Amino acid sequence: MATPQSDLLQGTLDLLILKSLALEPLHGMGISRRIAQITNGTFEVKAGSLFPALHRMEQAGWLMSSWGESETKRRAKFYRLTKPGKSQLRTEAERWERISLAIASALRAT
Amino acid sequence: MFRNFYTFCRNIFRKACVEDELDEEIGSYVELMAAEKMRSGMARDDAMREARRELGGFEQVKEGVRDIRIGVHIDRLVQDIRYAIRALTKNLAFSVVALLTLALGIGANTTIFTVVNGVLLKPLPYPEPDRLLMLWETQLHDDALQTVAPANFFDWREQSHSFDKMAAIDPYPDFILNASGGPQRLTGAAVSSDFFSLLGVRMALGRNFLADEDRPGQNHVVVLSHTTWLQYLGGRPDIIGKPLALNGADYMVVGVLPREFSFVSEASDFPSRKHFDLWTPLALASPPPPWQRGTHPLSVFARLKPGVSLTQAQADIDGVANNLQRLYPANDKERGIKAVSLSQHVVANVRTALFTLAAAVGLVLLLACANLANLLLTRATARQKEMALRVALGASQRRLAQQLITESMVLVMLGGLLGLCLAYAGVPAMLRHLPADLPRRSEIVVDGRVLAFTGMLSLATGFLFGLLPLFQSQPMSANDSLKQGGRSVAFGQSGLRSALIVGQVAIALVLLVGAGLMSKSFWTLLQVSPGFQTERILTARLSLPPQYLNGYAFGTGKHRRISAFQRELLERLDSIPGVELAAFTAYLPLGGTNNSWAIDIEGRPANPPGVFNTTNYRPVSAGYFETIGIPVERGRGFNPTDDEDHPLVVIINESMARTFWKQQDPVGQRLRFDEPQWRTIVGVVGDVHHKGLGTQPEPEMYIPYGQIPNVEARPTIVLRTAMEPTQVTGALRQAVSEVDANVPLDQIESMNQIVSVSVGQSRFRTAVLLIFALLALFVASVGLYGVMSYLVSQRVREFGIRMAVGASRGNVLRLVLGKAAKLVSIGICLGLGGATLLTRLIASLLYNTTPFDPVTLGSVSLLLTSVALLASYIPARRAAGADPMVSLRYE
Repeated sequence: MATPQSDLLQGTLDLLILKSLALEPLHGMGISRRIAQITNGTFEVKAGSLFPALHRMEQAGWLMSSWGESETKRRAKFYRLTKPGKSQLRTEAERWERISLAIASALRAT
Repeated sequence: MFRNFYTFCRNIFRKACVEDELDEEIGSYVELMAAEKMRSGMARDDAMREARRELGGFEQVKEGVRDIRIGVHIDRLVQDIRYAIRALTKNLAFSVVALLTLALGIGANTTIFTVVNGVLLKPLPYPEPDRLLMLWETQLHDDALQTVAPANFFDWREQSHSFDKMAAIDPYPDFILNASGGPQRLTGAAVSSDFFSLLGVRMALGRNFLADEDRPGQNHVVVLSHTTWLQYLGGRPDIIGKPLALNGADYMVVGVLPREFSFVSEASDFPSRKHFDLWTPLALASPPPPWQRGTHPLSVFARLKPGVSLTQAQADIDGVANNLQRLYPANDKERGIKAVSLSQHVVANVRTALFTLAAAVGLVLLLACANLANLLLTRATARQKEMALRVALGASQRRLAQQLITESMVLVMLGGLLGLCLAYAGVPAMLRHLPADLPRRSEIVVDGRVLAFTGMLSLATGFLFGLLPLFQSQPMSANDSLKQGGRSVAFGQSGLRSALIVGQVAIALVLLVGAGLMSKSFWTLLQVSPGFQTERILTARLSLPPQYLNGYAFGTGKHRRISAFQRELLERLDSIPGVELAAFTAYLPLGGTNNSWAIDIEGRPANPPGVFNTTNYRPVSAGYFETIGIPVERGRGFNPTDDEDHPLVVIINESMARTFWKQQDPVGQRLRFDEPQWRTIVGVVGDVHHKGLGTQPEPEMYIPYGQIPNVEARPTIVLRTAMEPTQVTGALRQAVSEVDANVPLDQIESMNQIVSVSVGQSRFRTAVLLIFALLALFVASVGLYGVMSYLVSQRVREFGIRMAVGASRGNVLRLVLGKAAKLVSIGICLGLGGATLLTRLIASLLYNTTPFDPVTLGSVSLLLTSVALLASYIPARRAAGADPMVSLRYE
C-alpha cells in the first residue's frame, strides 16, 4: 500500500530515482511509475517531492536532462544517469544493503 | 565547482528561461498522467482535473523546486527587495512618514553618538593610553585633587617604582613675541624633559628637549605647536636651531609638534588654557630648594610600567606619601598622593551629562519605533487579503515573514542612510553649540565607529518594529482571510496597540521629567546672584613684558613699574567718554584662574604641622569693588594710597570673616602670609561666586597690587561703561598702546559673556534634553492619535448601534476619551515609577533641585495628560460626530 511520504527515509528517494534510471532515460512521470513498479507499489512518489529531488540531483551532477518526445508524442524532459550518478548509485546501494542487513539482524536478535 | 557556478549564473540571469522550462516540465507531467487515466477509460476533462488534483498544486510544486535551486537566497532577496520598493512606493504617504521618522531618530542618535564617541569612547590620541595616569596631591581628610609642589614631584619620581616615566607641567608661563602684527601674547607651558616622550609624541620637525636642557640656566630652548610655527614663522622648515626672541630673550627652536598633536589640557585643571602655543623646559633645580615644597603649581603625568595596575601603582605611591609625611612634616604631614587614570580624569566632568543625553536620544528613537510599529500594524491589517492570496498561490508563512522583514529592512536602511546625511550636517551644527569647555572637542568626527554604530542601530530598529506585526497575527488559513474579504479581522491587535501607547506615554514622561528637572536646575542657577555686577562691564587681559617684573624673584619684590603702568593706564581710561570706572584684578571671577595662600592670624596659636589656613587671594587695584560692583559690608575699600609706601592692608570676604572670626568683628585684626610683616584687615566685602555660579563661595582676601609678595604679570582690566561695553574696545586698545605699545591685549569679553560661558555646560545639556523631551511629547501624541483613530475606525459599527439605540454624542465621546485616559494614566504611573528610578542617576547634574521635585513631576504629568487627551479628542469627536446610518453601512 502507499506509504505516506514522510516515511521515506532521507536518501531513499534519491536511491530509488537513481535505480529507476539505471536501465534507460525516463521523464518525470516515467520515473514515478517505474518506482511504483519496482517497489511493487510500496512507494508512490508525488510530484511535490519528485521534482525538487530531480532538480537537486541534476545540480549535484548525478543526472542530466534533455528534452525529448514522450510515448504520447508530447514534449517531455528526460533524465538519465551521468557517470558520477552511476557511481553514486553503487555507493548508495552498498550503503543501503549494509544498513538493511544490520537492521534485519538487529531485529532478529533476542 | 564550475558546474555549480554555471547553474548559479543560469538560475540568476536566465531566470525566465529556467522558469519556462519548469512550467513545461510540470505541464507535460500532468498531461502524461491524464493520458494514463484516459487509457483506463476516463473522459479527457475528468482525467485532467484528476491529474491536477493528484499533482497537489502547480505553484506549490514549482515553489518546492525553486527552494532547492542554487542561488535561491540571493534570488529571493533581490525579488523581495524589488517587491518591497514597489510596495513602499505604492503607499507613498506611509513611506514618507516612516522614512522621516527613521531619519530623524537615527540622525539624532548618530549625532549624539558622534559626540559621545569622540569625547568618552575613543581612546586618547596617544600610544597605549591605558597606561597614562595623572598624580595629584590630596589632603588626608578629603579627596579633593590638588596640584603638586615641585619638591614633592622630585621625590615622587625618585622614590616610586611603578612608572616608566613621570613628568610635570607648569601651565602658566606666557611669552610675548614681537610678531609682525604687533606684540603677541603666546600661551606657554613649562614641562620636564620627559613630557613628550611620556605621552609618546614624535616631533614633526627637530627633536624633543634633552635632559641637559631641563636645568636652570640651560632652558632657553623652545618647542612650537604646529599652528604657532605656521602662523608666526611661516612654516619654514629650516627653523630648527634658529633663535626666537621671546620676552626679550633669545630662545633656540629645537622642535615643532605634529599637526595632529592635541594636549588634553582639560585634564590639568587649567580650563583657561585651552591650547598651548609653545613649550619650554621646566628646569627645576636639583635638588629643589625647600620653599618649593610649599608652593603647588604643577600637574604631574605618569606612564605605568607594562603590566602594572592602577591599584599596584597607588600602593606604591602611598608608600612614597608615608615617607614624605615622615621626612617633611611641616609641609607634608597631612598630604597623600592619588593616581587617576588620564582617560577617566579628562572626561570626569562631562561623563554623566553625555550619557544622559545619549540615553535620552535612545528613548526618542524607541518612541519613534513604537510609532512605526503602529503604522506597520495598520498596514499589515490592510494587507491581510494580499497576504492570504500569496499563501493561496504557494507562499509559505516563513516566506511571508521574510518578505515583511525585507520591507522593514529596506525602509530602515533608507532611513539610516538619510539619518547619516542628517548627522553629517548635524555634527558641525552641534559643534558650534557645544559648551566651550567640553574636553576633546577636536576629536568629535564622524568616523568608522560612528558608521558602524549607525548600521547596527538601523538593523536593530528594523528588527524591533519590523517583527512586531508578525507577533500579532496568528497564522490564519488563507481560506478564512479570503472569506472575510479583508474586513475588520484585527480586533486582537488592540491589546498590542494599547501596550505600545502605554509604553510611549511612560517613556515620554521619563524624558519630560528629566528635561523639567534640568530646566528647573538651570533656571535656579541663573537666579544665583554672582555677587558682582554683570551688566555694562568690559574685561580684557594685559600681558606685561618681563621688564615690568623688575628683577622678579619668587617671594620678594615690590612692583613699582607695574603700579606705575596701571596708574597711567587708569588715568587715560578716565578720560575716555563712556568709561565710568576702571580697575585691575589678577583673577577675574568665573575666569578660570585662582590662587591661594596659607595665613597666620595674630594672637592665635600656630596650626599643628601640615595643617594650613588656606585662603584664596586676589591682587586688585584701588576702585575694584566699586567698578565690578562688589558691596563693601564693613570698614572700607582700597584707596589709591594703599601702595608700596603705606602700611600693609587686606580686605576679606564674608565667607572668610565667618570662617575665621565667627561673630567677632574682623576689621582691625591682623594676619600675615609666610613672611614677617602683619597686614591689617580694613574691610569686609560681599561673597563672589568665583569658580562658578553653582559653586559655594570660598574664603577670599583682596590685597592691593602694590603690596603683594609675588606678582601676576597678567592683570585683567575691568571697565564699567555707560553704554554697551564692547563699544569701548577700540578706545581701550588705543589707550593701552599709548602707554606701552609692547603690551598685548587679549581675551576682551563683557562680563555677561563670561557668565554665559560659565554656565555653558548646564545650558547645553538642558537645551538638548528639552529638545528631545518635546520631540518625545510630539511623537507620543502622534502615536496616540494614530491608535485612537484606528480603534475608532474599528468600532464605527458599534458606535453606530449605540447611537441608534439612544446613546448621545456625549456618551460616545466619553467612551473614547475614557479609553484614552485609561491608557494615558497607566502610562503616566509607569513613567513616574521609571522617572524616580532614572532621575537619581542625574542628581549630580542638578543644582539645588531634588530629583523628586514634586512641582516638576506634577506639572509635566499634567502637560503630558493634556496633550495626550487633546490628541485623542480629535478621533473621539469624529466618532461622536458620525451619522449612525452612515456608520452602520460603513462596511
